[in-house]
Parts: sequence; structure tokens; C-alpha cells
Amino acid sequence: MAERIKDEQDRLLESMFESAPVADDGFSKQIVGRIRRRLWVRRITLPAAVLLGSLVAYQPLAALIKGVYQLLLSMPGDLVPSISGSLPSLQLIITGALILFVTLFSLNMLED
Amino acid sequence: MIRAEDNELVARVVSSQDTRAFGELIRRHQSHVRNFLRKLSGDMSAADDLAQDCFMRAWDKLHTFSGSGSFIGWLLKIAYTTFLQSKRKSKRYAEILEQVGHVSEVESRSHSTPADEVSDLDKFLAVLSEEERAIMVMSYACGLSHREISDATAMPVGSVKSVIFRGKEKIRTSFDIKDHQHG
Repeated sequence: MAERIKDEQDRLLESMFESAPVADDGFSKQIVGRIRRRLWVRRITLPAAVLLGSLVAYQPLAALIKGVYQLLLSMPGDLVPSISGSLPSLQLIITGALILFVTLFSLNMLED
Repeated sequence: MIRAEDNELVARVVSSQDTRAFGELIRRHQSHVRNFLRKLSGDMSAADDLAQDCFMRAWDKLHTFSGSGSFIGWLLKIAYTTFLQSKRKSKRYAEILEQVGHVSEVESRSHSTPADEVSDLDKFLAVLSEEERAIMVMSYACGLSHREISDATAMPVGSVKSVIFRGKEKIRTSFDIKDHQHG
């Protein structure tokens, strides 16, 4: 309205359109609450999905690692020199993978 | 305590999803947004629901606020879009109800102010089209400049000016406006 000169009708309309300020009365809190809930749901969804996925994938993954492990052990010694001696135990591999996964995941959560 | 500028609060929200800063932005502007939507829809509770949706959208889109115009102008743009979308939905809903043989309850719900509570402003707004009403409210109730209204409504400044002129003419011809000056 500053960009033009107000006439009498402009001033009259301004006074007609003028209305009392609306009290907040918890309005802002309600919206902030909704946003916080949404953020929380968003934050919890990914970890929950990962946990569920891990639970579902644990058995097939362990079987896969075991299969690969057995395959490596059954290879001729000249093809994979000294592999059988340097391979850690299967349990150690799975535990290591899980620790690595949990650490990376926790770091990611802390960043958020 | 120094009062942070709107742009500063927006930056805090965008950079670190600071819900407190956003809460402060809502506290500052909720009155304007709610008044704007109340005047547009004529229904206080529906307007407040729309205002909530508007602020939720604002949260999602805050990174698109460039800071070149005023924050309230940007918010009213979202409020107006939210209003138009809800209106379109209501219209579709009413059409479906009519198709299945129901009387449109949506139509009867809008502008639900009781007849004895109709103010002069309500009478003025009633003679205006939806677009004119929005622009007149932005201009006279919210104090937005023509440039800001143009941004909010995606209309050229010249069109905004002519809509305001047309709105004033409609009010002038529909009412003896001088009567209101003396109560």
C-alpha cells in the first residue's frame, strides 16, 4: 500500500478490513507438536526397517557367508595360496560384520 | 533479548530443523494467516484447519523461501494455494454428492456465519469474486504491497492493480460507502 497514495476509500477499506489479532491459544504449540511427531516417526522408520530387514535377512546371509567360506576352503591350494590358514572362523566373520554394521548405523543416528 | 529477524529464524529451521525457531515464526504470523483464511473462507474452524495445513506445508517448503520478499508474503502465498486446493476438493466432493443425489452439505457449510452476525465486511466480501476477495484482503487487511500480492498470487502487478480497482468499484457501486464512515 506504500507504493501509491491512499485515497479516502482506501483508508476506509483499511479500517473495515482491520481485524483484532487472533490469540495463539496453543495454535503454534499444536503445529510444532505435529512437526515433532512427524520428525520422530521419520527418524524411527529407517532404523526399524533396518532392524526388521536384518532379522529377516540374518539366516540367508549367514548361509551365504557359510557357502562362500566352504567354497574358499574347498579350492585347490595352488589357486588360493595359504588361504585356508589365514581365513578367520565363520563366527568371527559374522560377528565382525555385525559390529561394523551396528557401529556405522549408530554413528549415522548420532549425526541425525 | 534481541528479537531475531524472520530470515534468521528461517535459516535456523532450514539448517538444523529447529522446531523452536519455527514455533516462533508461527507465533509471529499465525494471526495474519488465520485472519486472511477466515476472511476468505468465512468459516472460522475451517480456516484454522487450513492455517494448520498451511504451516505444515511451510515447514516442508521452507528451503524454497529465498528471503527476497517478506516472510508473511511468502506464507500468504502458501495459505492462498492451500485455500484454493481445499476449495477444489470441496467442489469435487459436492459434485460427487450431487451425483449420488445428496444435497451439497459442503456448499451449505461454507460461509456459515449466522445471518444476524453478518458484519459490514462480510457484506463487502460477498460481492467480490474469490480472486478479488483474496487480493483485497491481502492488500487492505494484511498490508501487502502490490509486488508482494503479485508474488503470492502469481499474477502480474498490473493485473493485481486492476483487480483492486475492480473490487473497489464493486464495493462502491454495491454499497453507499459514505454511510459507513459515520457508523
